[in-house]
Amino acid sequence: MDAFVQLVILGLLAGGVYVAVGVGFGLVWGVLNIVNLAHGALVVVGGYITWQLFTGFGLDPFLTLPLDAAALFILGYALQRGVINRIIRAPLLFTFLLTFGVNLVIVNILLLIFGSDFRSVTPAYSGQGLELGSVVIPYVRLASLGAAILLAAGLAFLLNRTRIGLAIHAISADRDAAQLVGIDLRHAYAVTYGLGAACAGIAGGLIAMIQAITPTAGEPYTLQAFVVVILGGLGRVSATVVGGLAFGLVEAFGQSIPGSGSVFANAIAFGLMVLVLVTRPQGLMGRLH
Amino acid sequence: MIATTDSQRRWRRAFVIAGAIVAGYALLAPLTSLDVAQSANIPLLADKFWFRIATYIVMFVVMASAWNIIGGITGYAAFGNVAFFGIGAYTTGMLIAKAKWPFLLALPLAPVLAASFAALIGLPLLRLRGHYFAVASLGVGVALGELVQNIDYDGRPVFGGASGLFLPIYAVGHRGLFFFYLMCGAAALAIAVTWWVLRSRFGYGLIAIRENEEAAAVLGVNTTAYKVAAFALAAALTGLAGGIFSQWNVFINQDNAFPIEYNVQMILMALLGGTGTVFGPAAGALLLQLLIQFLGGSLPISLDIPFVSSEARPIIAQVILGLLLIVVVVFVPRGAIDFFGGRTRLSLAYLRRSLRETSL
Repeated sequence: MDAFVQLVILGLLAGGVYVAVGVGFGLVWGVLNIVNLAHGALVVVGGYITWQLFTGFGLDPFLTLPLDAAALFILGYALQRGVINRIIRAPLLFTFLLTFGVNLVIVNILLLIFGSDFRSVTPAYSGQGLELGSVVIPYVRLASLGAAILLAAGLAFLLNRTRIGLAIHAISADRDAAQLVGIDLRHAYAVTYGLGAACAGIAGGLIAMIQAITPTAGEPYTLQAFVVVILGGLGRVSATVVGGLAFGLVEAFGQSIPGSGSVFANAIAFGLMVLVLVTRPQGLMGRLH
Repeated sequence: MIATTDSQRRWRRAFVIAGAIVAGYALLAPLTSLDVAQSANIPLLADKFWFRIATYIVMFVVMASAWNIIGGITGYAAFGNVAFFGIGAYTTGMLIAKAKWPFLLALPLAPVLAASFAALIGLPLLRLRGHYFAVASLGVGVALGELVQNIDYDGRPVFGGASGLFLPIYAVGHRGLFFFYLMCGAAALAIAVTWWVLRSRFGYGLIAIRENEEAAAVLGVNTTAYKVAAFALAAALTGLAGGIFSQWNVFINQDNAFPIEYNVQMILMALLGGTGTVFGPAAGALLLQLLIQFLGGSLPISLDIPFVSSEARPIIAQVILGLLLIVVVVFVPRGAIDFFGGRTRLSLAYLRRSLRETSL
């Protein structure tokens, strides 16, 4: 029983990171219909900004998160406005290839700047944790779960309660009708992608505190974001939260199977995703259209 | 059918002639490495290094042409075809290394196994459309590579594990020449199959599925059977390339049998040359692979990039490749075939038109 509780806690903590990685990806996919293969690279950019501010200026890593978000919002806005907007009406394969190209450029520029060494962010409190019986929960992980939930809540608030959020809902429902009622599509698309990138930046900041990062570390995050979004169901932030936490739990339990270890992480994730896609394509929380 | 003008016909003829010259050179140059040619003092046009690059290029011709069948003709954006390459490589590799089969007996099983696997996963996966199919097929490719590397039985890795699988060297004179012509045979097969598909009832069914799947079903096309067959056909050809690769390279592991970047490369090659055409993917494979090798600095002719140290060079090459990918996708979305095929000229007006068509 104790081991079970420990697995649940571990799974939920890991799930927090997946929520953070998934929400931005889900937003861009759900609204813009772009499967953003550069998402993982944007996550890593966020991680490096946090690392640079922490080692260079001694800033507390949690305080760097808003800066990650701001920097990546600007990068994402520019990227969508300048490049991705130009192929919105092309077949879907092109968005795949384009974002893969963007991914390639970002990853290799990071390699040029930072080299391929592993970097980690270790504030003074990183070794401490909350002791619950035999289970120790690191404060950093607990705080990042909290930060991820806050991020999701903030995004949901922004989408449902603000003017730009309504505009994003409108372009998601019907692009041409949205244009007819006076929404500036180019701007709204760029803001949406910028928001997705900002979420990726915050996710990167959180990840840098938990594990070491390297420029090429982004690809698994893109793949995990896919799985999380599909698991929860496309189109709502709350569904991605459920998907992220569920994915964390499945991974924790999958890795606890004797003999499997952590080496099958991708296989478990993708096996699960293919299963969900085939049996329940709308996701756990999704609604059928 | 758009009427062709004289200038278009001239363009097309120029490209056909250029293609024939390239193909003729590629097929004849290896012969200069034979002993007969050497004793007759014919200059050596193909050394070991030439064979390595040329075989790589032809391998991508096979893979891009195979992708074209499911991605270009049927319109299903398969993003995990590298799974079939890996299955082919490991089928042949295991049969040779562990079961001690002779290579030529083990090779035919590579496409058979790859096609069977494709049919098996195709039945559920091909029910998905658009992004979902692309993502699911990518997942299959990634998961399969991981499984192959990590499956243990009795505490010992079944497929060679993380240290990979070593094959005995195939005893044949002129190894480079042998594997180059073998790969060329596979490429000729892939191109011939594409040619046949585009002229058959089967191919018309696939094109109907691409254009409108519901309408195709109403017209009596058994869409499930057609899609699975196209997927299996693509898998068989890709698996064949993998099977040849394993014996040619003598060593396979997760990194060289299941490289994720091949997925993108084969699609880009098909797009660059023109999807849904017979020779487009082959031309795209030649162009892109030459460019990749050139940027990576492994061609004899290479250009020095100023202010770049030799360690940074492969990284800069990747940046250039990424930027090129972006430029091609944004400006030439219908593939270079539009002007190679003589349908239009490469001009500023063309670039602006295609930009306007896809922009928001």
